[in-house]
Amino acid sequence: MQMVDFEFRNELIKEDFSLNYCYQCGTCSSSCPVAFVTKGEFNPRKIIEQSLLGLKDQKPNVWLCCTCQMCVEECPQKVFLTEIFEKIKNKIVLLGEPYPKTFKMQAKSIIENGLAIPLTQPIIRRRDQLGLPKVESANIKELKKLLDATDFEKKIKIHEVSK
Amino acid sequence: MSYSYFLGCVIPGRLPFLEASARRIFEKIGFKVGDQAKCSCCPDPTGAAQLDHETFLALGARNLCLFEESNNNILSLCSGCTESLKTVKHILDNDDEKKKEINLKLKVIGKTYKGDIDIKHFAEVLYENIEKIKEKVKKPLKDLKVAGHPGCHYLRPSEIINWDDPLNPKTLDELIEATGADPVEYNLKNDCCGNPVEKSDKDISLSILESKLKSMKEAGADCITCVCPACYQQFDFNQREINKIFNTDYNFPVFYITELIALALGIDTEKLGLNSHRIKVNDILQKIA
Repeated sequence: MQMVDFEFRNELIKEDFSLNYCYQCGTCSSSCPVAFVTKGEFNPRKIIEQSLLGLKDQKPNVWLCCTCQMCVEECPQKVFLTEIFEKIKNKIVLLGEPYPKTFKMQAKSIIENGLAIPLTQPIIRRRDQLGLPKVESANIKELKKLLDATDFEKKIKIHEVSK
Repeated sequence: MSYSYFLGCVIPGRLPFLEASARRIFEKIGFKVGDQAKCSCCPDPTGAAQLDHETFLALGARNLCLFEESNNNILSLCSGCTESLKTVKHILDNDDEKKKEINLKLKVIGKTYKGDIDIKHFAEVLYENIEKIKEKVKKPLKDLKVAGHPGCHYLRPSEIINWDDPLNPKTLDELIEATGADPVEYNLKNDCCGNPVEKSDKDISLSILESKLKSMKEAGADCITCVCPACYQQFDFNQREINKIFNTDYNFPVFYITELIALALGIDTEKLGLNSHRIKVNDILQKIA
């Protein structure tokens, strides 16, 4: 059974009003490279339809958006689909529902190193050989303060084991 | 106002040879770029930025503050970083309420975002200096057919990136032409390389890449060039896997546009670290010798 939750729809519209402008023409899906290779299994038009209807349990594959923004450029109604998908992902994360672990691993690296890819010893040597300057990364304590101010670790459930 | 590099994560931490080519060509054309210490991840618009919008804004704004403090504009070596930083700036400069909220967060680390610096993708700056590049070309890359891959975050969302035509881009091809090489037209030029979706589904990511490679091969390209380290990795690291899965024989050397320009400017290949490429570039070097 589908759950209709207008609160979900209203929250999304509040965060991105352009959701209201969609008239379901499907231009987004025809411009989407992920829709193309999945033969329509990933369907941006449908995600927008479900969001407008407030079908909040129907958001399984929003993580498959490749964020290329082709749909946003081609949409005749100027719906910011990529941004709306980002807001849906934010909600999924905040609700504590599972999300792909690669995202959490990257967040963890940023918390611990300030960078998504920490500088390893071999790379530091390679940088030297190439005559590149030393990289002075962000102060981790300072970053931690900022991330605590936005409650990042709690919001993304950093300590919960993801699948 | 002068420029300083925003290096991001992928280039300094995994592909430092791309940084070397960029630094060498900016030196060669006499465009001075400084270095900015203490930057963090931009954050990745396809990764951590998708988890929490407020943190995306706060981390991005902190990076922008560093450049404001040192009074430098940003020259970014990565399309993802460019998009993230331009997006944060766009949002904070156009929404006073959001700016206030984020500045309240930044207060805990003693920073305030003002909004008085500019952000540019390195290829944007190269394009602005295209005549200077042409003047300095010593070894035109004659008869080299190059498939230019502009990639997504270099162009879109156009409202924020505010640069080349988002659906019919020309700047990368013009930069290829400036090196003396021939940009090839191919069907899927404007499509994503597939890299961002690897985080959620590797099969989809590789399928997108395969369509793209097929289109480049049909167009008769000798090699690929791009302007983003995520795209670079997708093309250079994954062709062998594609060949196994799809029973194909792709073997396109992949260059950052800064590497092609460096070769055309006659910069010593030893200084470019070209031996770090996974798909070997020797055949191309012979072809243009």
